[in-house]
Amino acid sequence: MRASLGPITNRLLDLAVVLLGVSILVFLMIRLIPGDAIAIMLGANTEITPERIAELEARLGLDKPMYIQYFDWVTGALVGDFGTSIWTGRSVMSEISANIWPTLELTFLSILVGAGLSIPIGCFMASARGKNSEVAVRVVAIAGLTIPSFWLGIVSIFIVSKLLPSVSTLGYVPFSQDPLGNLQRMCLPVLALSLPMLANLSRLVRSAMLDALGQDYIRTAKAKGVPRRSLIYKHALRNALIPFITSVGVATGYLLGGAIVVEQVFAIPGLGRLVLGAIAERNYPLVQAAILVMTTSFVLVNFLVDTLYAYIDPRVAK
Amino acid sequence: MLVKKIGLALTTTTFLVTSAAAATLNVAIDSSPAGLDPHLITAFNSVVIVQGNVYEGLTDIDAGLNVVPDLAASWDISADNLSYTFKLQSGVTFHDGSTMDAEDVAASIRRVQAEKTASPMAASVMPITNIEIIDPLTIKLSLDEPFAPILSSLATIAIVPAELEADIEALQQKPVGTGPFKFVEWLPNNYIALEKFEGYREAGLPMLDGVKFNFVPEASTRQVGLTSGDYGILPGIDPATALQLQAQPGVKLHDTLNVSYTLLGMNVTRGPLGDAKVREAVNMLLNRDEIIAGALFGAGVPGGPLSPALSAWALDTSEFACYTTNVDGAKALLAEAGIETPIKLSILVLPRQDARDISQVIQQQLAAGGIEVDLVNKEIGEFVQDWRNSNFDMFVSANGGNPDPDQYFYRTFRSGGPTNVYKYANAEIDTLLDTGRTETDQAKRKQAYDAAQRTLACQGPIAHLAYGNLFTATNAKVKGFEIYPTGRLTSLVNVSLDE
Repeated sequence: MRASLGPITNRLLDLAVVLLGVSILVFLMIRLIPGDAIAIMLGANTEITPERIAELEARLGLDKPMYIQYFDWVTGALVGDFGTSIWTGRSVMSEISANIWPTLELTFLSILVGAGLSIPIGCFMASARGKNSEVAVRVVAIAGLTIPSFWLGIVSIFIVSKLLPSVSTLGYVPFSQDPLGNLQRMCLPVLALSLPMLANLSRLVRSAMLDALGQDYIRTAKAKGVPRRSLIYKHALRNALIPFITSVGVATGYLLGGAIVVEQVFAIPGLGRLVLGAIAERNYPLVQAAILVMTTSFVLVNFLVDTLYAYIDPRVAK
Repeated sequence: MLVKKIGLALTTTTFLVTSAAAATLNVAIDSSPAGLDPHLITAFNSVVIVQGNVYEGLTDIDAGLNVVPDLAASWDISADNLSYTFKLQSGVTFHDGSTMDAEDVAASIRRVQAEKTASPMAASVMPITNIEIIDPLTIKLSLDEPFAPILSSLATIAIVPAELEADIEALQQKPVGTGPFKFVEWLPNNYIALEKFEGYREAGLPMLDGVKFNFVPEASTRQVGLTSGDYGILPGIDPATALQLQAQPGVKLHDTLNVSYTLLGMNVTRGPLGDAKVREAVNMLLNRDEIIAGALFGAGVPGGPLSPALSAWALDTSEFACYTTNVDGAKALLAEAGIETPIKLSILVLPRQDARDISQVIQQQLAAGGIEVDLVNKEIGEFVQDWRNSNFDMFVSANGGNPDPDQYFYRTFRSGGPTNVYKYANAEIDTLLDTGRTETDQAKRKQAYDAAQRTLACQGPIAHLAYGNLFTATNAKVKGFEIYPTGRLTSLVNVSLDE
């Protein structure tokens, strides 16, 4: 029955089910953490009467039973109203959209650099297997995997501030406002995010390529005189791409959820920091909406990856 | 030709951008404030941005913790100490262009008092029972009984435009005050920008074109940013960071004795802690110098119930016998109280590095006297909830201080006081605190607070540990910055930047 609906409708149904489940989970979990928004707002040692605390609860809508709060929220969300941030009073969606651009840019550039470079490097490692140059690249790759990105971030900020004091490395300016300043500030965080990805993916490409290069059809291709370059990039790579795309898809999904550590280190106002801050201050509507946005993008990326599978390997489509 | 034009345009833009940026001071703080309404939010990150910069009060607290005039040019106090008549500064305008007058002052006080606002500052203005506007620049505040700290309390009450009295939403996002800097924009998780208020009442001030508060969560990033010149000021940094920055070229470190303090709170309804002798024994087991050296990097001084920064009020710790560490004396006191050691208690720990370090030192010190302590680490929301519900044996925390003793003592130690989570009740202390609150003769107030300090220091529900140093680091290009013990950045109005 579902098969007749077509892949897009199927996906939308999946998305709806996932979002419903996630919304209930998030709604409950954030409220089950001890300490509510008011405790955080007032902090310790604040002089306040119970009546005023009750007034605050009523204002934030926290005095109603939880199922009514959930119902109110869902009915609002269905018509696109995700509520307002408890603290700033702004609409939750405007807070999210202000923080989504740095995350999108960071994700796009990191994937571009990390995934883009990993293919030639991985292919090189596979074809030069066992040679000294391959060992050198592999050592660098292992280093890239093991160095934590926050450490790499702090050290790179320090080095750049000493060697190139005129280059701004901290904070974020929109590309539309100051393209050069935007790219300057993006260099180090993209480096910190893409290096571990590059290391991981190029090792993956290497082993998938070694697998592919050992197959019979490669021997046949070699025998009929296919040039080495085309052998690697055309015949072997296409078959090695499936696990690669899966990994890139997962990495993209995670990055779209915000790269918390790198955002913290470089003071970038992305989704990760938004959600972290919102959880810490029990900003319920903001946490709920932001997690839904992240879930949606994760599901969409997965959909895209599935579509790509079919494109790369026509057998998958059948 | 076209290329030339574009080149020229680019150069001019670059020039414009740099000259505008040159007079903007970049401040780095750790996180976004939870809101900017001066009557709702008391967290450091909000206060440091708006108080004194965007908002002003009738009075202000200067660097020596004295009450000085601000929006009020002068005041008269009636002979019975029941009414205060303030003469307001003339020619003061709000950032929206309207003129500030007595109506705005009255509305601001009513706004803090209103139940609907649910302001955590309400208690400090509740004693004001009548507000009378005599003329647009004269306002009379009346009390039912004398309330000595009123002038100091008014320094925390920002004056906002009268039409916002009933609006509890607008100021959270877009503050409107009379201060030297005007709010421009707030990008969540990114920055809050303020610009010079051209209509500021003091000609030639402020000297900066703007101030930008950048939210930089990572401490090492803030540090590198200060040395590289990305940031001009790091306010309220911890002693460990201060130590590291001290040695850096191009960084100036400012410090002052803080009114805020670290404390060990004791719940008098929990077992042996109800006995004053046990609380005195706890004090005798503590070695405050060791705590300061071991957990605060030496940045702080031991203190009694009042900060040594309040030099007009605080007694020297040499007056408190229990401040001399004496393990045998403590054991004797415990025996006298009929306590069989070892006893087991727990300490709830504020989730902050200094509090964690302090509680570990205390754990060891108390163990020497047979008090075995479990440390309970909780996340901040849970900590506050347990604190408010008196759900603790003991806790280690840090509190911001106040310039007047009443503002701290009355709510904390008076029976049933709103922050008396210790459940402490002592009729003698109650009388002394009532005297301190209603008596306006300085000598008599001092007498009452001296007696209260003597009792509270050793037998009260709080063992006061240390008053820390408040550190603020500035880049060497920042001129005219002065540090205030209240942590406010009031001196930004006089700050300029060297090229």
